[in-house]
Amino acid sequence: MKLYNYELSANCYKVRLLMSLIGIEWENITVDYYPGREHKSEWFLKLNPLGQLPLIEDDGFILRDSHAILVFLATKFDDTGKWYPTQNAEVLGEIAQWLGFADSLNSTAGSARLHDGLFIECDIDSCRSGAHRLMRILDEHLWFQEKQNNMWICSHSNPTIADIACFPSIMLSEEGGISRIDYPAIRRWCDRVRRIPNFIVIPGIFAAGPDINCENTGS
Amino acid sequence: MTIESIWFPIAASDDLPYRHVYHAQLLGTEMAVWRADDGFVNIWENRCLHRGVRLSIGINEGVELKCQYHGWRYANRTAGCTYIPAHPANSPARTIQNRVYPAIERYGLVWSGIEPEGEGPNFEFLSNRHCLVLRAVSINSPTNMVIEELRKYQFHPSSQLDAKHVEYEVVEWSTNTLIVQAQSQNFSTTALLIAQPVDSYKTVVRGVIEWDDGLEDIPVLRHHAQLINQIRNRVESRAASIPVAELTPLNMIKPSQEFPSSPKQPESGRFASYQVTIARKWQTAEGVSAFDLEPIKGVLPTFQPGAHIDVHMPNGLIRQYSLTNGPGQTQHYTIGIKRESNSSGGSHYMVDSLHEGCKLDISEPRNNFPLRRDALETILIAGGIGITPLLSMARLLDHANLPYKLHYFAQSEKHVTFGEVLSKLGSSVVLHLGLGDSQTKESLHDILSIHQKRMHVYVCGPAPMLEAARVTALKIGWPDEAVHFEYFKNPNAIDDSSEFEIALARSCLTLKVPSGKTIVEILRHNNVAISTSCEQGACGTCIIDVLEGEPDHQDVYLREFEKAGHKKIISCVSRAKSKRLVLDI
Repeated sequence: MKLYNYELSANCYKVRLLMSLIGIEWENITVDYYPGREHKSEWFLKLNPLGQLPLIEDDGFILRDSHAILVFLATKFDDTGKWYPTQNAEVLGEIAQWLGFADSLNSTAGSARLHDGLFIECDIDSCRSGAHRLMRILDEHLWFQEKQNNMWICSHSNPTIADIACFPSIMLSEEGGISRIDYPAIRRWCDRVRRIPNFIVIPGIFAAGPDINCENTGS
Repeated sequence: MTIESIWFPIAASDDLPYRHVYHAQLLGTEMAVWRADDGFVNIWENRCLHRGVRLSIGINEGVELKCQYHGWRYANRTAGCTYIPAHPANSPARTIQNRVYPAIERYGLVWSGIEPEGEGPNFEFLSNRHCLVLRAVSINSPTNMVIEELRKYQFHPSSQLDAKHVEYEVVEWSTNTLIVQAQSQNFSTTALLIAQPVDSYKTVVRGVIEWDDGLEDIPVLRHHAQLINQIRNRVESRAASIPVAELTPLNMIKPSQEFPSSPKQPESGRFASYQVTIARKWQTAEGVSAFDLEPIKGVLPTFQPGAHIDVHMPNGLIRQYSLTNGPGQTQHYTIGIKRESNSSGGSHYMVDSLHEGCKLDISEPRNNFPLRRDALETILIAGGIGITPLLSMARLLDHANLPYKLHYFAQSEKHVTFGEVLSKLGSSVVLHLGLGDSQTKESLHDILSIHQKRMHVYVCGPAPMLEAARVTALKIGWPDEAVHFEYFKNPNAIDDSSEFEIALARSCLTLKVPSGKTIVEILRHNNVAISTSCEQGACGTCIIDVLEGEPDHQDVYLREFEKAGHKKIISCVSRAKSKRLVLDI
């Protein structure tokens, strides 16, 4: 398994995170996204004409788009079936819904972070207000999930790839000038994600403290 | 009444789950809010005193909050700094203490204020009954516009969500609070709504309704969430068009003009800073009494494992006792006192004459026996009553999940002090009961023979045992700086016959120390402040840096390599071999 990877990319981190959580061995191929713009180079465009990271190559099978990769990896390598429960139509539907939501987070909170951190142009005000609009919705959703003893985004007793898809843009939002002070349910969910066994970090995301005897949070 | 003096809800109780740090803001002041494992709610100014990083991104370790940046630890309740990882061998200064705000948990909400007055919120209709806390909603608008809109809060009684006709009444209202009643048929529900002023342009709406357990809560919560969201949308669209309020200039407090020239208050003698009550006294082992000391007013200050206090007894004696408390325990200090047969009056008085309810004066805790938290493994060796400081260390290491062993040498089972606490530490405690001198030495050799790099050993007990441990550790090859001792008293006979001169580099004074007088006595006589505690060369409180000259060390506090370095002196007993010492004081 090869991952075309850039360390600071939130979308590459999603893939690395799921591979760590499931326990998939992978080979790193660094693409110099910034400042080298290697994702727009001739050799990379041959692999992905969209010129976007991440991209994986598994036994000659090439796949782009972080969310597509999450679906592929969870389906093929997660023997427990909990990250992408293919037999559960309702949860699969919910996952697809929240993967779309995660795309919107990418284009708002994610773009704001790239704007502030890597000087990539965008309409920063509309990115930030768009991110707040989404985070209000996610916070209310998670608050009601907690009230019903459900600690994750989908109606499933375990975290799913929907949690992994939404987590990086949310957890890195402050690098784009988007505070999470108004979203306490999101902040608690971030603690829970960071406490999943085999969680890994990237610059800007710290591990949470240990959760010995962790009680049912929030309800 | 100023707005700073009002109690506001700043969080819901449910916002503070196990080991979480909540991020709050009130009147422009950011707060880090966390519940310790003992249930206490801490509300602190949201910045680390070191580099100003928000503590709300720190780690709630149950009894301490750890800053994410350089790992400074702050204690539950007091917010005093307990550990600085970059200086593992030192104890942080007592003045490193974060600002704390008061906290009251009531009606399912956490209430605080900048300088709140009075006993806290009181809403009769919610008292002594179940409450349902509504989802808090943050609104980008000044508080007055929110309250105006909330007066039209038309909700349904909890059991009548589908009712067609509902009557509303605003029962009570103020600039930040509303009580609204909704009635339909014979059913009514009363709601408390509060607008928490986050800053001049942001408000959080918090609500609580009276609640009957028979009902299903989710539909009611959704009903209110929807109504408050509608209010938010209306207020925000109106607020978007109003000009943003001008920034209020910061009210910076300038230091007093006289401050730089005002003379230093000389501190002559040993002062007691706190008055405490003996809340509980019990016999914890044969010949050993334990005392819980509770503050008469306010809270007790932060301590670190290894710290001791001076107890000023009503009979005029001053004695040092180590705190045995676990990390973050500042509701009371617990000390253990052995009734010494050769007591000069201190332990007899404490054990025989003092009872529960007696008042005592104590000093602030001082820590001259600091515990590193970066050791590969920590070995604690206690002899008899020497268990007291090591118990506090063991409790911290146990809590922080750091590898350690506590070896406790006692005469017999009956002499095991604080057994009830020790039993909770499980297999990390090893008892060595009833050993003679040579057996003790053998056991010490066995314990110390497992030495590896980055291990640290802490020893406290009677002088012969400390001496034996010191010699054994040296023989096995432990480096001096990895072996830490605490003596109860200095067994050395003090030779005070020498005469010498001390030059005080900071105070610009040169003083003569004649035979029969100590450096401390001469400093105090000349109004130079110096803190002391045991005044016999055991505790290390009166340590001074030496800039020039060769000290004549007579204490048991400094370790051999420190004594050889001539850089420090214990000024209550040690003197000079050279004619002159230059001291950094």
